[in-house]
Amino acid sequence: MSRWQYFLRRVLMSIPVVIFGTTITFALIRLGPLDPVSAILGTQYNPQAAEQIRTNLGLNQPLWSQYLDFMYELFTFQLGQSWVIAPGTTAYELIEIYAPRTIWLGFWSVLIALFVGIPLGFYAGLNPNTPSDYVASFGGIVWRAMPNFWLAIMLVTALSQLGTWTNGLFTWQTWIVRTNVVTPPALGFFQSPVEQFLADPGGWTESFIRATKQIAPAALVLGSASMGNEMRIGRTAVLETINSNYVETARAKGVSGRSLVWKHIFRNALIPLVPIITGEAFLLLGGSVFVETVFAINGLGWLFFNAAINGDLPLIGTLMFIFILILVGTNILQDFLYTIIDPRVGYDG
Amino acid sequence: MSTTTETEIPLRQRVAENPQPALIWAAVGAVLIGVELGAILQVVGAVAGVVVNLLPGDPGASAVQSLQAAFDAVPTLVSRDVIPNQGYWNGTGYENTFLGLSPAVAWVIRVAFVYAYAFAVLAWAWNGYTRFRRHYRRVDWTPRDDVVNRFRGHSWGKFGLIIVITFVVMAVFAPALGPTTMERNILQPYDYEVTYWSEDTQSTETVLVGEANLGSGSQGAGDENVAPLTYDDYGRFHPFGTATNGKDLFTQVVFGARISLTIAVVAMGIAGLIGLGLAMITAYYKGLADLATVLVSDSVQALPVIMVLILMLVIFQNTWVRELYDGAVLIILIFSVVYWPFIWRSIRGPALQVSEEDWIDAAKSFGQTPTQVMRKHMAPYVFSYMLIYASLSLGGIIISVAGLSYLGLGITAPTPEWGRLIANGQQYVASPSWHISLVPGLLITLVVTGLNAFGDGIRDAIDPQADTGDEAAATGGGA
Repeated sequence: MSRWQYFLRRVLMSIPVVIFGTTITFALIRLGPLDPVSAILGTQYNPQAAEQIRTNLGLNQPLWSQYLDFMYELFTFQLGQSWVIAPGTTAYELIEIYAPRTIWLGFWSVLIALFVGIPLGFYAGLNPNTPSDYVASFGGIVWRAMPNFWLAIMLVTALSQLGTWTNGLFTWQTWIVRTNVVTPPALGFFQSPVEQFLADPGGWTESFIRATKQIAPAALVLGSASMGNEMRIGRTAVLETINSNYVETARAKGVSGRSLVWKHIFRNALIPLVPIITGEAFLLLGGSVFVETVFAINGLGWLFFNAAINGDLPLIGTLMFIFILILVGTNILQDFLYTIIDPRVGYDG
Repeated sequence: MSTTTETEIPLRQRVAENPQPALIWAAVGAVLIGVELGAILQVVGAVAGVVVNLLPGDPGASAVQSLQAAFDAVPTLVSRDVIPNQGYWNGTGYENTFLGLSPAVAWVIRVAFVYAYAFAVLAWAWNGYTRFRRHYRRVDWTPRDDVVNRFRGHSWGKFGLIIVITFVVMAVFAPALGPTTMERNILQPYDYEVTYWSEDTQSTETVLVGEANLGSGSQGAGDENVAPLTYDDYGRFHPFGTATNGKDLFTQVVFGARISLTIAVVAMGIAGLIGLGLAMITAYYKGLADLATVLVSDSVQALPVIMVLILMLVIFQNTWVRELYDGAVLIILIFSVVYWPFIWRSIRGPALQVSEEDWIDAAKSFGQTPTQVMRKHMAPYVFSYMLIYASLSLGGIIISVAGLSYLGLGITAPTPEWGRLIANGQQYVASPSWHISLVPGLLITLVVTGLNAFGDGIRDAIDPQADTGDEAAATGGGA
């Protein structure tokens, strides 16, 4: 089977996966012991309003027709609206408001993890069994074992107390630009960035730096698990490549050290890192609930959590569908990267 | 099938021919178990009580109760009664403590004693294995010996094992380890009294435990804080300080270890059984069974784990399942449902490989049923791969449970849980009461590091060439 046929098969397989995953969500929401209507109404339950909502949501219809409606609407991207946490607001509007903060957070946490984890791992792999290798490896393992929400709490405290600890020499709040430790990032500069930048380059840069500084601690925490993973896998991958025959051959024919590291070791060591990097999508989505809660960033994770505890089941169904699409999309991206990077893909099955 | 050869002498006969090593081992074992007989019988009684409760009509409830009373009377060496620490200062010396020592010292002695006993039992079990290997085993060498030897040479894995054992002992002996009991300090504080030495009146006085708790909470300010390794105003020793509500943190932490480890191990066990069973079926029948399982497991894996956990806990919030053991049963069930696809995925390859082996064909042509083939000839080869994956995933479950409890969705009061303790002390991290959040978090980090190290050791011991597989799953979806 050629590489691209293999890739195509993986893409086709993802269609039933999305359908099935959405079906599981439907089953949980509509067949579970929690009645959507009483969840929406909560303590203000009255039969009239209940009947109204029931009709609105189509809950009077037979189950199979509810199911078909649910699936049809989601797959044609008629995403419905919120019923409890922002009644009447459409899911589109909510996602437009909340998603940018999570994307900003996710972007930086992937970037920080990549630019700290991989170099550290490669460094440890290139200098195996030295004290610096032990420090880096052990640090990575412990770093990865820390629960995100706890790490977030500790980091918030540390940053807030930094001024007191250093006797006012260094305070996080006033460093470079003035920000609070626990705050949602101000992403105003994000709208029509080109015009804003042209109109006021200094101001735009400052708001960019401010938003980055606001998100940095949260991104560091959210990326912690991935950073540890990338370090571990990076180290093993480098160790394996260093000891492989082709590197031996390259060294024997006189390839320079720099070229050896970059062309022969680095590129091949990247292959096992691909699933770790794309697997971050799972960690980021799950972790965003905790990190956004601690850092008071009202993003998608925060939205999902609040929709869940307030019983906004219609909105939850929609969000779950979006998350499934994101995760399946990342899986496809992973297969795509594999297909490009590793010519061996597809040959064994 | 069975042709008896000379080497196949039953174990009983082999022991009878050379009884000395076995007898010594059994004698030591009898002593070790004998001193703990009371505790073992109490556990049996408690289990019987639960079983009777579950049966309709509670048959023989009174018999079980009298049995429990009889069991309680059997003395136990490793218990609070032998080394009591809950005494008080009477102006000249300590009363009701072990040898009249201070409560802190008495408590330290008891903890040391519990761990010494636990490690003695483990050493005895290990010694039993080596004796069996040296004196009674039919063959000199089995492949499993190599696994054991590789693990013994794996210092990182051994480090993990020691940490894991430390926490398991903490969970098993939780009632004996705490400076006070769950019942007295946490569940029914207003049913018990504490005697203490009052500086004002220069005499001993008594107060309800609940009221003493109110006066010894850790809420930031200097006089409203009971730091780790200090006494509160009522002469009670707190190794980890107190929580905001004045309840002893160490007692809550050890019982938190109990619930966390139980959930992780049981959930992983159930998920492992489902995964292993399905792997056998899909590897044996292949084709449609395999395709259907791929589809279902891919779909479950495409769901964000933490979000599904939150959603399911919300959906089941007012049901009877949620009430069982403060939510632990429901959480175990949810984790089993969510985790089996990961297990199945990790052993699908090895299972398919085994099913292609010649001995499977041979077994089939001997007329063995599919279940026999799967159980006897396939499962043992796949089991070790499952063990690798499961041991690497336990830490993720512990972190997730703590995270959910932190959000207020996981284990509910009164059962103590690490994540809830962290939430409890969150606003005091920067104050003198930093210990409430810090200690449980450090313990989670330690136990997860230990589990991961142990898992690495198992992996390297079982299969040095093994691919780690899905690393992301092992961190619990980012909680």
